[in-house]
Amino acid sequence: MTNFKLFKTSLIALALASSTASFAESFAITNATVHTVTDQGVLENATVVIENGKVIAINPEKITADNTIDAQGRILTPGFIGSMNQLGLVEVGAVSRSRDAADKKADITFDASLAFNPRSTVIPYSRKGGITSNVVAPRGGDDMFKGQTFVADLSGEFNSVRVSNNNVVIDLGAKSKGSRALSLQHLHQQLEDATKALAKAKKKNTKDKKEAKEPSRKAQVINALLNGDKALVAYADRATDLLALLKLKETFSLDLVLVGAADAVLVADKIAAAKVPVVMAALDNLPGSFDSLHASLENAGKLTQAGVKVALTVDGDTHNLYQLRFHAGNAIANGLTRSAALASVTANVADAFNLDSGKIAIGKTADLVLWSADPFELSSKVSKIWISGKEYSTESRQDALRDRYTSKSDMPKAYVK
Amino acid sequence: MQKFLPSLVMAALSVALTGCLQSEQQDEKVVINKNPYPSTYQVLPQQTTLIKNATVLTGTGTRMDNADVLMVDGKISKIGKNLSADGAAEIDANGKWITPGIIDVHSHLGVYPSPSVESHSDGNEMTSPNTSEVWAEHSVWPQDPGFEAARAGGITTLQILPGSANLFGGRGVTLRNVPSPTMQGMKFPDAPYGLKMACGENPKRVYGSRKVLPSTRMGNMAGYRMAWAEATEYKRAWEKYDSDYAAGKNPTAPVRDIELDTLKGVLDGDILIHNHCYKAEEMAMMIDLGKEFNYNSGTFHHAIEAYKIADSLAENGNCAAMWPDWWGFKMEAYDMVHENVAIVDAVKNSCAIVHSDSANTIQRLNQEAGKVMYRANENGFDIAPELAITWITANAAKSLGLADKTGSLESGKNADVVIWNQNPFSVYAQAEQVFVDGAKVFDRFDEKYQAKSDFLLGQK
Repeated sequence: MTNFKLFKTSLIALALASSTASFAESFAITNATVHTVTDQGVLENATVVIENGKVIAINPEKITADNTIDAQGRILTPGFIGSMNQLGLVEVGAVSRSRDAADKKADITFDASLAFNPRSTVIPYSRKGGITSNVVAPRGGDDMFKGQTFVADLSGEFNSVRVSNNNVVIDLGAKSKGSRALSLQHLHQQLEDATKALAKAKKKNTKDKKEAKEPSRKAQVINALLNGDKALVAYADRATDLLALLKLKETFSLDLVLVGAADAVLVADKIAAAKVPVVMAALDNLPGSFDSLHASLENAGKLTQAGVKVALTVDGDTHNLYQLRFHAGNAIANGLTRSAALASVTANVADAFNLDSGKIAIGKTADLVLWSADPFELSSKVSKIWISGKEYSTESRQDALRDRYTSKSDMPKAYVK
Repeated sequence: MQKFLPSLVMAALSVALTGCLQSEQQDEKVVINKNPYPSTYQVLPQQTTLIKNATVLTGTGTRMDNADVLMVDGKISKIGKNLSADGAAEIDANGKWITPGIIDVHSHLGVYPSPSVESHSDGNEMTSPNTSEVWAEHSVWPQDPGFEAARAGGITTLQILPGSANLFGGRGVTLRNVPSPTMQGMKFPDAPYGLKMACGENPKRVYGSRKVLPSTRMGNMAGYRMAWAEATEYKRAWEKYDSDYAAGKNPTAPVRDIELDTLKGVLDGDILIHNHCYKAEEMAMMIDLGKEFNYNSGTFHHAIEAYKIADSLAENGNCAAMWPDWWGFKMEAYDMVHENVAIVDAVKNSCAIVHSDSANTIQRLNQEAGKVMYRANENGFDIAPELAITWITANAAKSLGLADKTGSLESGKNADVVIWNQNPFSVYAQAEQVFVDGAKVFDRFDEKYQAKSDFLLGQK
C-alpha cells in the first residue's frame, strides 16, 4: 500500500480541466501509474492516448491529442468489469414490476438484454466502484438453462448494450426438489443428440444438396455451444459437479466457465489443466450448503496459485456491485497477489467472457479509471472514469439525497434540489 | 398460544409476615421466574496480560498512540504508557491497533445458520403477527460455523434476533462469542433481553398474503397498539395481584401468558426494544407508539432513512443501527445514503451503530464502519477512527443495555479486546488476537486458538 500515494490536491481542478473531452476528440492521460494488466505490467509516469473510444497509443514519442489530463502520478487501471448479476434488469428487488431478470417460461433462448434499462439508478451508483462494463446474467425460470448473458457498459446511454446473447447460463448442483443427476444427464444428452444431429445433417447435405431443415432455435443455441460460438457458463459448487462439467468440456470441446465453484479448491489442478476460468465471490467463506464445505477467504488466492484464471464477482444483490474492488482487497488480505487481484476484476473477466476490454493496450476499448489512491482500499475513490473513451460522473441519486438532508434550509427539505 | 397455569411457575416466598394483620390465609405467592434459562457461560482460561506499544482506540472517543493495555482477572485494569505487571503475559503490539471487542446488535447466527438447511431454519416463527412468546435463544444452534468466522473478525458479543416477518417477532438474546455446546454456555450473563419488532413491508406482506391483519402499514400500527393495550391490562393485573398480596389479601394470580410476559417485560423496563424499521415516517410513529404506551422505543434496526430524522432520534433517546451501503432490495431500502451513520452520529446525544444482519459482513464490521467514515469524510465530515470505532463498540453496547460491562476499554470493564494487524478501517485489516473477558478466544497465528464447529470437523 505504501506505493500508492494519496494526492489530495487539485481533484476539482482536474475534474474541470478535462470536462471538455468528448468522444470524437482525442485525449491523452499523462503522468499516470498505468496498470496495464498485460505483459507490460505497471508503467510509471506513463501516457495513454485515447481516440474514438479506443486506446490508440501508450507512451508515444510525441503526444498528439486534443486534450491532456495530468494524472499527477495516480493509478490508472482498466475499468472494472462486473459479472453474473442482474444490473439493469432489477431496480428494486421486491418490486415485481421493476424486475425483468427471470421468467418462469424462460429457456435457453432467453434474451434479457431486451429488457436492459440503462437509466437504472444502480448504474451511476456502480460507477463509484470503478465498474465500466458488466456481464449481465438472466435468472431464467424452471428450465436448467437460465438464458443467455449479455454485456452492457455503465454509461447509462441508451445504446449501452455491447453484446447480446453471448453465452449460455446453466444452473447445476444441489436441488431442493429432485436430483442433481438428472440435470447433468439432460445436459449430456442434449449435447450428444445435437452432435449426432449435426453429423447426420452434414452427411445428408453432402449426399443430396436439398436444403436442410433449419434447426429449432433451442437447437441452434446448443449448436453454438458445440461449435464454440458461445461459452457454457455453469453455476456449480460441489467438486463432483465441477468434475462432471470438465468431462463434458472435454467430450464436446466446450468453452466452459465455472461460476460459484465454492469447492473448486479440491480439484484446482484439474480446473487449471483444463484452462477453465472460475467466476467466484471472494467473500463467500461459509459452508452455505453441503456443496460448499470448503468455502474460504483464501480460495481466490489458492486457485490462482494453482494456475486457475479467477474472476471475482459480487454475489447476491446486484445493488452491491460497486463493492467489487473491496472484495478484491479482501482477497489480497487473504493471499491473492495485488496484480492477480487487479486481473481478477479486469482482464480475467474479459478473457472469461470474450470481451474487448479489461486491459490497457493499443486497440482495446478505452474503459479506464483514474483512482485517488489504492483502488482496493476503503479510503480511496474514483477520481475519473471513462467508458468507451468518454468521461462519466459518479454522482448518483444517493448523493442527491445526502446533499438534500445535509443542507440548511428554513423550508422543508423537499424544496432543496 | 398456549396458556400456562400459575401453578407451573411458583416460587415460595417466606410468608413470615410478622407484625402484619393477616385478614385471610395466604396461598404461596406466585412469582414469575424471569431467568428460566440462565447463562452457564464460563470465562475461558485467562491470565494477566499486558499488550504493549499499540495504537489504542478506547471506544470512548479517544485514541492513544504507543499505549499499553493491561488485563487482569478478565477486566481492563489500566491503559497507559510504559505499564508493567508482575507475571503478566506480554504481547508486543508495536505497529498494531487495539480496539474493544466488536459488538453486532443484529445477527441471526445460530437461528439461520450455515449450512442453510430446512432443518436449521429457526429464525422466523411466521405463524402469527404477534409471537412475543418465542425466544430466539430457544432456536440457537451453537455449532453454526458462522460464530467462528465472526470471532476471526473480532466479534466478541452479538445479539441474536428473531426475523422480521411478524410485528412482534419474539425475544432476542445476547451471546458471548465463545464456543459452547449449549446456548446457555454462550449467553451473556445478566444481559437484558431484547424484543424484536418489525415495521413496514415484511409483516404486511407475510400476513396480507394470508388475508389476515396486517396487510397495510395502518394494519401494522393497529396490531402493535392492540398488543400493547392488552399488555397494559396484563401488567395492571399483576401489579394488582402483587399489591393485594402485599396488603395481606389472598388474591388469585392472573393467568400466566408467555406472550404477554414479554410485552410486560418491556413495559416494566426490563426488556429493550429492537425494531426493524427502515423509514423515517415509520420510526416517527414508533417513537410516538412508545410514548402512548409508556415504554422506550429503543433501537431502530436497518434504519435506512434515519438521516432524515436524526434530530428526533437523538431527542428521544433512540439508537439507530444501520448498514453502510445495503439498499434497493426493497422499496423501504431505496433511499440509502452512504453517510447515514455519520449524519445520525453528528447530532448531540445520538447513538449511531453499524450492524450486519449478515453471517458474512459480521466478519468485517470494522470495514463496514470504515466505509461510512471515508465516504462521509469525502463529503464534508471530519470523522476520526476513534469516533468511528464507537459505532461498532460503545454505541452497540448501549443499545444492548451493556454499556456498564463492555464496548469500551476502561478500567473495570470486561476485557473484550481485539488486536488488529493495522488500522482496522483498512480493507487489509485483520484481527490477529481476540479476547473475551481477558481470555484469548482467537489467534490468527496459533491453531490452538482457532475453534472449529462440530459440523465442519472431519468433513473431507
